[in-house]
Amino acid sequence: MKLSRLILATFFTVGWASITLRAADKADFIFVNRGDIGTLDPNRMSWMQDIRIGYALWEGLYALDPDTLDPIPGAAEKIEQSEDNLTYTFHLRENGRWSNGDPVTVDNFIFAWKRMLEEPGDYTYLLFYIKGARAYSEAFEKDPKSAKWENVSVRAPDPRTLIVTLDNPTPFFPDICAFPPMFPLNQKTLEKFKHFDQATGRTTYDAAFATPPNLVTNGPFMLTRWQLKVGQTLTKNPYYWDKQHVVSNTIESLVFDDPLLALQRYERGDVDWLAETSGDIAAQLRDAGRKDVRIFPSFGTYFYSFNCQPTLPGGRKNPFADMRVRQALTMAIDKRPIVRNVTKLGEEITSLYVPPTFPTYKRPTGLAYDVAKSKQLLADAGYPDGKGFPTLKLIFNTEFNDHKLIAEIMSRQWKQKLNINIELDGLEIKQFQTRLHGKDYDIARASWYGDYNDVSTFTDKYRSDSLNNDSGWINADYDKLLDQALKETDAQKRLDLLSKAEQILVTEVPILPLYHYVNKYVMRDNVKGIPLNPRNMVVFKKVTAGR
Amino acid sequence: MFRFIAFRILQFPLILAIIYVGTFLLCWVAPGDPFQRTERPLPPQVAESLRRQYHAETWYGFLVYYPIKMIQGDFGPSFNFPGRSVGQIIKDTLPVSATVGLIAMLIAVIVGTFIGTLAAVYRSRAPDWISLTVALVGVSLPSFVVAALLRALFAFEWDWFPVGSWTWSPKEMVLPAVALSLLPMAYVARLTRVSMIDTLSSDYIRTARAKGVGRLKVIFKHALRNAVLPVLSYIGPATAITMTGSFVVETVFQLPGMGDFFVRSVEARDQTMILGVVMIYSSMLLALNLLTDIGYTFVDPRISVS
Repeated sequence: MKLSRLILATFFTVGWASITLRAADKADFIFVNRGDIGTLDPNRMSWMQDIRIGYALWEGLYALDPDTLDPIPGAAEKIEQSEDNLTYTFHLRENGRWSNGDPVTVDNFIFAWKRMLEEPGDYTYLLFYIKGARAYSEAFEKDPKSAKWENVSVRAPDPRTLIVTLDNPTPFFPDICAFPPMFPLNQKTLEKFKHFDQATGRTTYDAAFATPPNLVTNGPFMLTRWQLKVGQTLTKNPYYWDKQHVVSNTIESLVFDDPLLALQRYERGDVDWLAETSGDIAAQLRDAGRKDVRIFPSFGTYFYSFNCQPTLPGGRKNPFADMRVRQALTMAIDKRPIVRNVTKLGEEITSLYVPPTFPTYKRPTGLAYDVAKSKQLLADAGYPDGKGFPTLKLIFNTEFNDHKLIAEIMSRQWKQKLNINIELDGLEIKQFQTRLHGKDYDIARASWYGDYNDVSTFTDKYRSDSLNNDSGWINADYDKLLDQALKETDAQKRLDLLSKAEQILVTEVPILPLYHYVNKYVMRDNVKGIPLNPRNMVVFKKVTAGR
Repeated sequence: MFRFIAFRILQFPLILAIIYVGTFLLCWVAPGDPFQRTERPLPPQVAESLRRQYHAETWYGFLVYYPIKMIQGDFGPSFNFPGRSVGQIIKDTLPVSATVGLIAMLIAVIVGTFIGTLAAVYRSRAPDWISLTVALVGVSLPSFVVAALLRALFAFEWDWFPVGSWTWSPKEMVLPAVALSLLPMAYVARLTRVSMIDTLSSDYIRTARAKGVGRLKVIFKHALRNAVLPVLSYIGPATAITMTGSFVVETVFQLPGMGDFFVRSVEARDQTMILGVVMIYSSMLLALNLLTDIGYTFVDPRISVS
């Protein structure tokens, strides 16, 4: 008797709850982001999905043009550049406001930049173009009390003027100014999250400052909801200086771990844009003749990295120390089966490293597929028909099956064409990262996406002193060309120097370029304001669902 | 009874401390850097600064720092989701997992006991075979198959239940709760059946029947109460497992639950998060085991907890 009553009561409760719990009002624009947000603290934002939301919430001194993604004046309305391109004078907007109504001042930028150098994150290095910034960050790391902020070339003659001096003419500095690590912070609103350690002289901030309702931002939108593993709601910032050009009042960003589930929500009409879908789904939709799947070039390259150090891990003799061996292995690969059978999205196969995104950049000539020459090179290096070539290992991360399939294709081709044995060693991602960055491998799967809109975001990786150079390849001429480019004021000459540098890289092949990535959007026709830009970024100002 | 409970509760901190140290050691020796969140290596000074912020400069510093904080209810910041603290993540996700898990356990216990009883009463006849088959399917079908099947039919094909949203609406809980309930339901059914067959053949049941007590009353009042004891010992730990969420079911239905973190925090080497979820799970397991032991005495007064 009691049980039946309980069941009855449960039914009533459930029924009542279903009636009262109505779905919240639908946002003006709903999209599925790449995954859950890790953090919205500009110091530590590094995931694509965090940065995407960051662009909606903040505005740097420069902002990105919503259509072209070129840097345009943002929080600063007037920007003067010195003749030598070393000094930028930013004049802040009089009507620039934070989402709580406070005026945006130069102090907000100085505070955020100083914090970025003192409490560094993944992208702190982008501030090092400012004169004295690197030295300050390093000095602060050693001893916070003796580090001198005055040595950093950032001056504020009045609350609305900021003068920044750079070490070198850096043509992409405006682009960096629009990037999250350069976003301002309203220090007043961070005050209650501050922890100051008297003993070490270091200040840290509780992560809660970057969650609603605490987070105060200066961009077109403000964060009004952040539900873990569900999504965020962005609401138009009523104080934003250009609010009349912000088209949508509310934007909802959703999280789906399973791309199939995200697609189902899209098909039901619940979602306007899938910012990323799986390769399989994109290929299926495209094959079904669907026009709403947009596959277009991305700002990244997929390649293999050779360990170029004198010896391999464990002190083994390294055949890749000889350039001819690397060239032989590169020229032996027919890359077409990879994009045809594995990735399937019409990716551009390549023998180059820098993606074809820069119209005025002269692309060098890479090593073509040539089995005969490849065999010859291997023989010249002392391994005729693969004789005497040690069995080496190829490491890759296993969370995407494509890496394994590509590795199988590569290994089979090397065996068939050069008669050498490359064993596959699939690793879990964390182990893979440790091995790759520690140069503890023979051959490794790798990739690189550009951070800012310039060729140097790619070429810098293989500088001999770069932390990101995990091939161990050292070439003085390459470094010299990059140094020259750094000082060069003429834009085209600078690009030509970088092109010469890439020519060295793709000739000596410390890396074996395979293909350039593509972006995969699923987006309705009536959606406006999302450019199909390789950099895969969106400034949400002009975004509308057009429903 | 009171002394027994007090003694058991006093053991908790010791058991939890052992689990903490064990989990910590496994986290610390696992290869891979927890601060490395993207494909590119962290500059040494950034890594150093982060280690300092997380009190992870030395293993002993880390080992000592967090237990003190945990006692104060602070599990520290998450390594992988730097925007949130572990305590906050658990506070947001545990209620979701616990609610769905509790509904799943209710379904499992009610339906499982019913099927098991039915099978025992109609032993070696059609209901027995049917219930055994159902139980076998429940035990052997992996949850990702069941969950994906339920999703494909009831959400994708017929659109009866919403998936991929979470507004605390009961409609959103149905499919995940059913998917989660199948395994414990199958166990409960099998345990009930075996135990019921045993009980139904005992003398006191025959006596009751001989004295003219109704068949249903004998089964549900006299037999089931005794037969349910082995089931009870299963329910305790099963509830702890179900209520802390399932990685698979949460991924398939996109539930903002805690089960996800049992897998993902390990993948990301999110050490504070791993310790957080393990400690929550262990505490629940200990508490529910104690409750089960106390529960015995209520079902069968002959059993004394001490």
